[in-house]
Amino acid sequence: MDLFSNLAIGFGVAFTAQNLLLCFTGCMIGTLVGVLPGVGPVATIAMLLPLTFGLDPTGALIMLAGIYYGAQYGGSTTAILVNIPGEATSVVTTLDGHQMARQGRAGAALGIAALGSFFAGCVATLFIAAMGQPLTRLAQLFGPAEYFSLMIMGLVFSTVLARGSIFKAGLMVLLGLMFATVGTDLETGQERMTLGIPRLSDGIDFAPLAMGIFGFAEIIRNLESPEARDVLHDRIGRLLPSWDDIRQSAPAVLRGTLIGGLLGILPGNGAVLGPFASYAMEKKLAKDPSRFGRGAIEGVAGPESANNAGAQTAFIPLLTLGIPPNAVMALMVGAMTIHGVIPGPQVMTKNPELFWGMIASMWIGNAMLVIINMPLVGIWVKLLKVPYRLLFPAILVFCCIGIYSINNSVEDLYFTAFFAVVGYVLIKLGYEPAPLLLGFVLGKLMEEKLRQSLILSRGSFATFIDRPISAGLLAVAAIMLIVALLPSINRKREVAFQD
Amino acid sequence: MTDDSSSGREVSTAGRARITQDVIGGLVLSMAGAFFAWQAWDLPLGSPGAMGPGMLPMSVAVLIAIGGAVLATTGLVAGGEVMTMPHLRGMFFIIGGIVLFGLTIRSLGLVVAGPVSMIFASAATDEMRPLETSVFAVCITVFCILLFKYALGLPIPVVAFM
Amino acid sequence: MKKTSMLAAAVAVSIAVPAFAQTYPTKPITMVVPFAAGGPTDIIARIVAEPMSRTLGRQIVIENVAGAGGTTGITRASVAAPDGYTIMMGHMGTHGAAPALYLKLKYDPARDFAPVGLAAETPIIIVASKTHPANDLKEFIAWARAEGDKANHAHAGVGSVSHSTGILLDSILGTRPTLIPYTGTGPALNDMMSGQVDYMTDQIVNLVSQINAGTIKAFAIATRVRSAALPGLPTTREAGLDNYEVSAWNAIFAPKGTPPEIVAVLNDALVKALDDPDARKRLDELGAVVPDATGRTPAALQKLVESEVARWKTVLTQATATAKP
Repeated sequence: MDLFSNLAIGFGVAFTAQNLLLCFTGCMIGTLVGVLPGVGPVATIAMLLPLTFGLDPTGALIMLAGIYYGAQYGGSTTAILVNIPGEATSVVTTLDGHQMARQGRAGAALGIAALGSFFAGCVATLFIAAMGQPLTRLAQLFGPAEYFSLMIMGLVFSTVLARGSIFKAGLMVLLGLMFATVGTDLETGQERMTLGIPRLSDGIDFAPLAMGIFGFAEIIRNLESPEARDVLHDRIGRLLPSWDDIRQSAPAVLRGTLIGGLLGILPGNGAVLGPFASYAMEKKLAKDPSRFGRGAIEGVAGPESANNAGAQTAFIPLLTLGIPPNAVMALMVGAMTIHGVIPGPQVMTKNPELFWGMIASMWIGNAMLVIINMPLVGIWVKLLKVPYRLLFPAILVFCCIGIYSINNSVEDLYFTAFFAVVGYVLIKLGYEPAPLLLGFVLGKLMEEKLRQSLILSRGSFATFIDRPISAGLLAVAAIMLIVALLPSINRKREVAFQD
Repeated sequence: MTDDSSSGREVSTAGRARITQDVIGGLVLSMAGAFFAWQAWDLPLGSPGAMGPGMLPMSVAVLIAIGGAVLATTGLVAGGEVMTMPHLRGMFFIIGGIVLFGLTIRSLGLVVAGPVSMIFASAATDEMRPLETSVFAVCITVFCILLFKYALGLPIPVVAFM
Repeated sequence: MKKTSMLAAAVAVSIAVPAFAQTYPTKPITMVVPFAAGGPTDIIARIVAEPMSRTLGRQIVIENVAGAGGTTGITRASVAAPDGYTIMMGHMGTHGAAPALYLKLKYDPARDFAPVGLAAETPIIIVASKTHPANDLKEFIAWARAEGDKANHAHAGVGSVSHSTGILLDSILGTRPTLIPYTGTGPALNDMMSGQVDYMTDQIVNLVSQINAGTIKAFAIATRVRSAALPGLPTTREAGLDNYEVSAWNAIFAPKGTPPEIVAVLNDALVKALDDPDARKRLDELGAVVPDATGRTPAALQKLVESEVARWKTVLTQATATAKP
């Protein structure tokens, strides 16, 4: 069977000593950085991206994937132990996870989070391996018009699924689009909005934008409001959850995996909704909903599984369609492009070793994370005590070296400084930077595909509706937009977020 | 990333128009939109069917400007979260650290750029302790040189002035 | 002083192992490649740099400085100290088409460099989608002339090899198809495979696996002789189109003012690299053509640059006259 021969290729690639080591290193440093308060997966990857520049594309992506899972696990650990979420999705984990920790059940919470995530990771890996192929065949039907409609859908999803005001998220997407238009015009070769800076004639580079807006802006914000690092000095208790805990969590893990995995496939950051949806569902199904928020283990198991399943299936739109569904995947696109791999349907056929190797390494990475995390929880807690006054200058110098090294360019450092200011100002004004990054990444592709479609159709917009797939995607986008704008749904969404 | 539920910020209520995040945020975006539109002014727009280089930048710039204005207006009417002072000290030393690194890396090399930018950036917080920071900066720089130059083989200047 | 150095130059060129060679190089040489790692020019640079390093006894370090169709890296390298420790891999775009494409170009390909030698030429192939009605070049020409602007001609972006050589083809055929711009060969190929666009031209390196897989159709190769990588593919001359002969060439340049002795040492290392069996094998696999002995001298490269600049000026200024402000 194709699936198994492909997985065999993948495991053949991933099981080389070098790639296993890269996967392990990625998971390890990902966890190390991810466990730091205030540093989520997006910032972690933005910071560690340059580490992979010296590697071959397969190794680099395997290591990045490892960093990603590592950062997710690290974020969950911080959320449970010290009540600081590293990213939007681990907000849910803090609710019951930290309560469990306060009750001396941190070990059980950390253990069930790791085991639930591992289960979700295994299922998601198989799902990607099985569904990747059909999705690629579908992708062959995609021309410029379909891609354009898909971009529109992704942009609508990204604003709809944003955490705060939809209107402000939409403005951020537009700002991202704006930054994406800087550079040489595709069709005429004319320079646009470059302010006469030669370095900008190829457009704004991804790394300075992402590292400025995410990495450095976040550092400035952390300096502004130093988190109270109330590390629990008590012992963490038994590491492995009891049989009762596992029996109680199993259905939640199953449901979480399903919800998270399905939402993760959506090319517009569906994964971010997974933990929220899972938490809401577990609370609804529970016999005694009042236990939630007071240390219910299902409230950790379900969302953590959903989070990890979604984190993994989010690779499907990236690898088969070339669409980054969220900020982390947007960083992956940058990583692939830096390595000369154009994300899209051709990745699977052109670089089967890369594609299947990465899928196999997803499973290996998850297994490694269990190995790393279960026994080493005590050490993570100690790392939380590294004073921020030393941590942030170190992060700064690492980022500077990384950015300089991408193109051996000093100008890129100044662009980074500029975007750090932009990012911090946006945070102060209550804007979320994630939609901006999505707009930026999708924007370039969107304009390209829009203009290609219109040239091919000789100027007729009907092409987007005449082509069935394109029309379907636009319809989904329209429905999503209408649904999101309906006030009742809006209210429900807010309730789910505040609960 | 912008969770601030625990900080208990002041919230302005409707009817008492105040300088809220949205008012300033809207104005800032409006100005940015206007700036982008000015930059895109000379680019040929083309027609919707045969788009020119200026079509997308100009439409997006106008949308940003209008959206910003709408946000500022509704913010003025409806109220919202009150704007807090930006952390200027943090901004100055962090941005300064990056710029110092850029100024020194090619002319002097990582040996200088590393400690200089780190020590400067450290001044962003009161918690900074000069001796500790200096020792730490030197250690990290040595580590970076070993890691980036030797372990990862990046063509980064280490000692450029000799 | 000047006389002696000129004499030394003459000696250097004639006996090829000058006394100077014993002192140069004494440290690693940086070769600026003006494109991202992994592209055709980068691959060729890495293939020749390896045996050259062996001959020179010092490492040639590749520094990728991408941007603005390769002109960013060449601009930076052109002002480097002319001491032989900074050299660059230029190509058809940076040292041929660039003056016609970039109005604010800060260097003159014919005057601001000390040419070292031609490394390799990668032939251009005319390809079309699998479902294209034409079966050979003659039918394709008839089709292109009959279709007029109904034909969809894809290219990999303004300033790319695919763009320049494609415009040249259209101007020779006298056709004005609709140009569909992409941001690289990959996406353009993707759409050609699914039949969204009709045809394009590009370097053999980018196309050979697709042609062999049968996912696209090839009509002719724009060189004098057939390629070993695609022996079944006729040349443009054989297929009935005499004057479309074009290739994306890659050549090593040093900054203007680099002493002729040093240029001679570098040229000697390049010539030896091109005869290295392993390098030769890898270049053949890419479908690249290695120049013969007369084509490897600095003088031959200088002549090539001058003729290419003139050719692209005519072709491209005609075609993009309306697009430029």
